[in-house]
Amino acid sequence: MRTLALLFVILGLPLAAANAQEADAPEGAIIDVVEMSGFSLYSLSPGLQKDINSLVGAPFSREGLNQLASRIEQEQPDVVAAVRGVSRPDGKARVIFLVARISDDTNLAENINARYIVETVDIEGSYNEISQQLRDDLQKLVGRRLDTEEAERLQERLKTELPGRAVARRISKGSQTGRIRVVFEIFEEPWIRFVPPKSKLVYHSQQGWSGVLDIPITASHSRHRFTAGVVFNDIDDLIEEYSGFRLAFESRVIGTERFGARLEFSRYNESWEDATLTALASSSGVPELYRNRLTFEPTATFAFNSSVRISGGVSLSELESLSNSPNSQMANAWVLGISGDHLWKGSNEVRQRAEASYQLRAAIDGLGSDLVYKRHLGQARYQIDQGRSTAIASLSLGYITGDAPLFERFSLGNSTTLRGWDKYDIAPLGGERMFHSTVEYRFYNVGMFFDTGSVWDRNSDSKLRYSTGFGVHTDNFFLTLGFPLNNNHDSGPIFMAGVRF
Amino acid sequence: MSAAGSRSQNRHWLLPLALVAVATAPLVAQALTIRTVADALHVQARGFSFIEGPVLTRLREGRSVRIDFEMTVLSKPEGPVVKQTMQGFTLSFDLWEERYAVSRIGSPPRSISHLRPRDAETWCLENLTLPVSSLGFSRDTPFWIRLAYHVPDIGPEASEAPGERYTLRGLIDRLSRRREEADLAKSVDAGPFRLP
Repeated sequence: MRTLALLFVILGLPLAAANAQEADAPEGAIIDVVEMSGFSLYSLSPGLQKDINSLVGAPFSREGLNQLASRIEQEQPDVVAAVRGVSRPDGKARVIFLVARISDDTNLAENINARYIVETVDIEGSYNEISQQLRDDLQKLVGRRLDTEEAERLQERLKTELPGRAVARRISKGSQTGRIRVVFEIFEEPWIRFVPPKSKLVYHSQQGWSGVLDIPITASHSRHRFTAGVVFNDIDDLIEEYSGFRLAFESRVIGTERFGARLEFSRYNESWEDATLTALASSSGVPELYRNRLTFEPTATFAFNSSVRISGGVSLSELESLSNSPNSQMANAWVLGISGDHLWKGSNEVRQRAEASYQLRAAIDGLGSDLVYKRHLGQARYQIDQGRSTAIASLSLGYITGDAPLFERFSLGNSTTLRGWDKYDIAPLGGERMFHSTVEYRFYNVGMFFDTGSVWDRNSDSKLRYSTGFGVHTDNFFLTLGFPLNNNHDSGPIFMAGVRF
Repeated sequence: MSAAGSRSQNRHWLLPLALVAVATAPLVAQALTIRTVADALHVQARGFSFIEGPVLTRLREGRSVRIDFEMTVLSKPEGPVVKQTMQGFTLSFDLWEERYAVSRIGSPPRSISHLRPRDAETWCLENLTLPVSSLGFSRDTPFWIRLAYHVPDIGPEASEAPGERYTLRGLIDRLSRRREEADLAKSVDAGPFRLP
């Protein structure tokens, strides 16, 4: 044990108050009395009893006495021990070992650090609005043993005075042994969140590998973030297979937590599946293929509250023709989106989360777009967690009018939609209409799902497809075997695995 | 053109099934043993650690953590419950001693300090008992045991601060650690056992 010299813990403080007229014993004073308070000396080992008894007549040594207190605690781990030396009128020292059972002290039983004296109380973060009364009350913790219940109450008062912010409390060692520092941390809970990184390494037994690495760079709790991303190869997201890079800068607080902005620049090289090329040859109304896609997308977001946000901006894309390079087409669209989410934490460990969003991308002549179209996408997701069980339901609806480029067309049949199907078997050119729903149940990390979906063009019929399967899902890792249920062809299950982070 | 134009038509999916089995194996790999002391049935669990992840983070920040344990005796695997006991504990980490303290919630209260992490975990399990006489089993009656814990009230601030996951450090942390929720609840089943 390190020294407990500063601990007038447990019974120590009352005793010290009662004996306030008695000064601390000086180092080297001869000890003439040794007492033990709150504990029987005979409960200790003979060796320790002997060492304590042999203190009589020895010079007072704070370090040596603390070592004995430490030995008491090691022999009797259900107690805490401290030592007090009092100077007697004749210059000799009286030594008192103060011992108490942890379970007899509510504060100690709650947190063993309640034995220590609070050296400082600090607040980290933005806290200008805190009332003077609360500041004063926080400082009243200093110089006393840690009162965990009082600290808890003060934390709640901070939350009340700082709505919309999270308050955490931690304790660290003070500058002297036996002293502690209490720190209240104030976090801003952002109303506008950064776009999650899209890093992944995914394998699909029909489509092969996809690898994306997004590296977000920001200070902790920063309002701004820069992301550099490398797409080694992505065949999972869109109907096209692409690789390249992207750079993004986001700010989630511009003057106010209600307002944020994002700029993204990306350049991708495309390659196309044989199935897509074959389908395109016999199709009309689908814009031509491109070899490169260069996009600049500035957007701004306004948060009505912590749950509901609206965003708007433009997406400017230059598509370099595959067959007629270096000619290119522009796909410039207004972007408008609204999203909402809410988390409910109920009793019995029940957590429910609901998310919904709608996005419109409208490419019009006024933006200098060669391709004129409108793309509507609505999505909703609900998840409930209770104990080891998780149930998920999601729904997506998509609708395109006009001549949308291939990167805007909807596709189903990848590692997240219609699992068990291959998107190039369903719609190798993607589609202008889309419906998809998922119902999934997980117990521990093992889950089963049922996917339903259809993707089709305005002049063709919709065919509903089903798939089911099972697999292992953790926060980052997944391993899934999906079975198409109404496939007329002789196709087996599809295996998917990977990490997303 | 794409090299993926010759996509594999491999239909051998026994390998994925094997991978599923391997991935789920850790869920059942923890070993339980039982012993009786007088009329008390004790359980010992190798690899059933709970001072880790967000619990450890919170403790190291000088805060206390409540952990609720549940021991259930079943007559069959996943079968009817014969008897169940629950016990809560409060853990804290002594910042100066750098040892753990545990208090048993309820009556009679019991506390202990100066423990290493594994010793603190063991102490909790030692204080989770069921009366053998209440089971009504003969010595040759097989039974199964489910041991579970969960951390009921750990705050969101204990796991990760807002924005932290987006730092490079946070990214690395997320890649290298298990799902946090998994650290806040765990359960293991084992059997059949017979009374010694």
